Amino acid sequence: MGRRLLITVLQMLITVFVASLVLFALIRLAPGDPAKLLIGRTMEIAWDAAAYETTLNELREEMGLNGSVFSQYVSWIGSLLQLDLGTSFYTDRSVAAEIGERLPSTLLLAGTALIIQTVIGLLVGILSAVHSGTWFDTVVRLLCVGLASVPGFVIGLVLLLVLAVQMGVYEISSQAALSRLWLPALTMGLLGAPQVVRVVRANLLSELGQVYIQSALSRGLGSTRAVGHAMRNVLLPTITLMGLSFTSYISGAVVIESVFAWPGLGEYALNGILHKDYPALQGYALVMVLSVVVIHLMVEALYVWLDPRMMRRKKEAAHE
Amino acid sequence: MKIAEDLKEKLRIERLEVAYRQEGAVQTALKSVDFTLHQGEILSLLGESGSGKSTIAKALLGLLSPSAIVRSGILSLSGQTPIDLSQPSKNWNGIRGREIAMLFQDARLALNPMMKIRDHFRETLLAHRLASKEQIRSISEQGLARLGFSDPSTVLNAYPHELSGGMCQRVCLALTLCLRPQVLIADEPTSALDTVNQREVLDLLQSLQRELGLSVLLITHDIALAEALSHRVLVLNEGHIVESGPTSQVLREPSHDYTRQLLSSRDLTSDAEASSSPDAASLLEIQELVKAYGSDRPTLSGVSMQLHAGEIIGILGQSGCGKSTLARCVVGLEQAESGSIRFQGQDITYAKGTARRRLARQIQLVFQDARASLNPRFSALELVQTPLHTFRVGDRKERLERARYLLEEVGITGAAQHRRPPQLSTGQCQRVAIARALALQPEVLICDEAVSALDMSVQAQILELLQRLHRQFGFSILMISHDVRVLRAFCHRIAVMHEGRFVEFLQGNRLSSGEHAHTRLLLHGAEELESL
Amino acid sequence: MNSRRASYTLGFGVALLALLAGSVLAASWLSPDDPLAMNVGARLQQPSMEHWLGTDRFGRDILTRTLHGGQTTLISCGLALLSAVLIGLLLGALAGMFHGSLFDIALMRIIDVLLAFPFMVFAMVIAALFGTSLFHLLLAVVVVWWVGFARLTRSLVLQAKNSTTVDAARVLGTSKSVILFRELLPQAFGPVLVLATFELGNLILAIAALSFLGLGSQPPSPEWGSMLADGRAHFMTSPHVLLGPALWIILTVLAFNCIGEGLRDRIDPYEKARIG
Repeated sequence: MGRRLLITVLQMLITVFVASLVLFALIRLAPGDPAKLLIGRTMEIAWDAAAYETTLNELREEMGLNGSVFSQYVSWIGSLLQLDLGTSFYTDRSVAAEIGERLPSTLLLAGTALIIQTVIGLLVGILSAVHSGTWFDTVVRLLCVGLASVPGFVIGLVLLLVLAVQMGVYEISSQAALSRLWLPALTMGLLGAPQVVRVVRANLLSELGQVYIQSALSRGLGSTRAVGHAMRNVLLPTITLMGLSFTSYISGAVVIESVFAWPGLGEYALNGILHKDYPALQGYALVMVLSVVVIHLMVEALYVWLDPRMMRRKKEAAHE
Repeated sequence: MKIAEDLKEKLRIERLEVAYRQEGAVQTALKSVDFTLHQGEILSLLGESGSGKSTIAKALLGLLSPSAIVRSGILSLSGQTPIDLSQPSKNWNGIRGREIAMLFQDARLALNPMMKIRDHFRETLLAHRLASKEQIRSISEQGLARLGFSDPSTVLNAYPHELSGGMCQRVCLALTLCLRPQVLIADEPTSALDTVNQREVLDLLQSLQRELGLSVLLITHDIALAEALSHRVLVLNEGHIVESGPTSQVLREPSHDYTRQLLSSRDLTSDAEASSSPDAASLLEIQELVKAYGSDRPTLSGVSMQLHAGEIIGILGQSGCGKSTLARCVVGLEQAESGSIRFQGQDITYAKGTARRRLARQIQLVFQDARASLNPRFSALELVQTPLHTFRVGDRKERLERARYLLEEVGITGAAQHRRPPQLSTGQCQRVAIARALALQPEVLICDEAVSALDMSVQAQILELLQRLHRQFGFSILMISHDVRVLRAFCHRIAVMHEGRFVEFLQGNRLSSGEHAHTRLLLHGAEELESL
Repeated sequence: MNSRRASYTLGFGVALLALLAGSVLAASWLSPDDPLAMNVGARLQQPSMEHWLGTDRFGRDILTRTLHGGQTTLISCGLALLSAVLIGLLLGALAGMFHGSLFDIALMRIIDVLLAFPFMVFAMVIAALFGTSLFHLLLAVVVVWWVGFARLTRSLVLQAKNSTTVDAARVLGTSKSVILFRELLPQAFGPVLVLATFELGNLILAIAALSFLGLGSQPPSPEWGSMLADGRAHFMTSPHVLLGPALWIILTVLAFNCIGEGLRDRIDPYEKARIG
């Protein structure tokens, strides 16, 4: 088990490495000289030519743009390993520090949304499976299809309109207050729930049709207990889904954060785009990639831990 | 011949009618079934697949799928108020396990793969409050010991996949018996087991039944089993009970046509040629074939045999002995690791690519799962023409003619030739597969458990078909099966395989004189079932 | 869901899609006004008989813009997804056929790397570097979205390779390429089609979100996403500005989801344990 984990970690490291390469390449591929972009068009006109050139070269030197591509990459990796993500063009502060300030808000939002999504998803999914074929099940399926068809920001905007503007229940501001957490988290959670419902329902239904459940029922063990047994086999796919959802929440939080003015990483990235703040964007992208990779690693580790006790047993049983 | 000792009624089912909702249409599975199970008797419900026997079992326990509609049916258990099965009832937990218990066909699947055996016992006993926590262990051990386990504590600590099929079935039996049910429904309890394990489980079932005075409803398709074990027999065909009565009477002097048909399929006619010596030319020679898949217990550990032109050779062995692997090595689906396979003198052991494809014209294989071996998107005619098309045999018209001819020979005529596998029965699918295999006029036809998945009556038909085609076209057959009965009547020679090697070679009609321990084991299992 | 209900869902989805596609394609006939024509005097009007969906902040008729914009959205998203599907199918099938080869291993590694990039992040980086436009976004889509189809195709091909049907074909001497096209690929079509349908819906949603953030198509183009970005500022006071594009987006994605659900229940076998 340790060995498999090690291999996975190695693979993850390679993935991050290659991803950083891709990121680096993209940024270098972008049209325009980053240094020029930093100074900005307006500056270009205001200063006289000579001063402009000097500043440009100074900046270039500072940004390390004068060396070969390879040395640029190496120095970049070097600073990355020191957790130095560069300095923001716009605010002149350390990107790492800025991201560090905002990451917790996004994580809080994503985490809460994940909990909401999982709770709703499990409850509705189990009930739907147990009562499959009834009107309840049909309604649930209709709702899932419907909810999955609506863009998140539309739901967010509508909720904001109704609850904040018209009913005054929700506060409009740009602070990361706990009292303001519930609505964006609820919105995100609702968006992610249909997928969980679908997976839980499908897997549970398939388990309930298995012979060992019928056998348990035939011994008079009652349907509640039977569902409990079946759920054990549904946990693993559910956990995987949770992992995937979390990564999509962290990256997709941009939209919801924008709608609710929630001061997280998403807002930071958007500002970065607006101001062409390359280091900020780079830092953001790297942190995202790293998060995704780490979460996948955690899910994989969970698998490896639970796997010998669950999947291997099932696999062996299926092969013999 | 066994006579029921006590005629007291234990369970009665009246006017049971069940239908299933499928694809928007409603199909009746059981049409007014009535029968009675008496105290201490073993009643066999004999029927082929599709007859509705599993539906009866499930209906008696309220385990029918949600798509089932019970139109009518009254279940009366002795000493209890009759239950109307057409009304939804909440009371099943009082009946399940205590009044009526069930043994499932595949015992391994019937146990929760993630729970140890002792947890199965604990859960069952506690749920019915039959024991305190301290008593559980001793009750479980006693229960297992009664079922022939010499080391109950090891078994209790095991997970289901660590036990063999036979052991799992015995564990299931122990589980159900610890609840002391009045009625036991055994749904094909041994069909998933090989002959040796079958024997064990049936012996136990019989002795325990006598000891505990259980009333058993035995559901099976195996006539020999029904004959050996039961007092009375019910014959089920397409949802009705066509005949019922004491076992000996029904099976010796059947009064219904269907029963007669069923019984006749039991006796496979031995081919007159079975005892004549075939042509001496050696067609296929296998020498010391080894295939280990990297483990210490090789699947094939040095297998050698010869197949002569025009000969029918059977390979008899339990599941897992390596017989399928051998077949797959011969046709190139697997590659042996050492040893050789020679066809007509040429070494084909490692043949690949074009050379291997060319062998398709000479060696063909019919699979166990006929339906799975046919691409469901093509009609029977198209399927049979495929190999002809691959090798550009004749022009389009000739290929079509040949395909038609072959299908007629295997019994697929007229409109059926244009049907696709989903619209054909399993027996028909196997016929199409055989026609397709013979399209290129191969010299060797390998049948890998080709009839094992078929109902007995269909089995007999397919075997007859193969015999006829063999006489007609003269190809050699390598017949692989675990079923002694199938091989005995069919083959010139039989090779008995055990754990990756051949242990004995016998003449087909002299199978009973086999001397090797394993041969005797296989024969014993089969014979006992057939003896009176 | 039994077959009958699946057919209803499928039928409903197809009918809805036909209706929407029809409305969009016939935009010029249904709503002959110029989608770009501004009329400042009629800004932000509520839906009325004259302007069925009201007007936006420049006085442009929203219904006209929605219908015309739909052409851009649907066609470009459709093309982008089609490209992704074809690339994914091809690469996945080849990887499955030549399982264990260098190509297969290399492909899986590339997929791993691409999966580490959440699409939103990737799109944002592209938008920042190369400029905000619908075209850039769709390029990003093709670069990233083929992965799901490749993985699915590959695993289906691998599964099919071990099936009895393929075994039988091999024993019958069928050549590898014929096996690929007659046995392996057809087995992949169903599930890939189902996935493609759902992904098309997801794509429209993703593009809408990105455009809403200002990263996609830019005004004055009447594309749905840019209309959303445009109307955002006035939403709280004049909520109707988002009604047109939002409604069409929801209905279109709904249609695709229904088609996907209906199709899926007819191709059931692979649904059960997949995480989707």
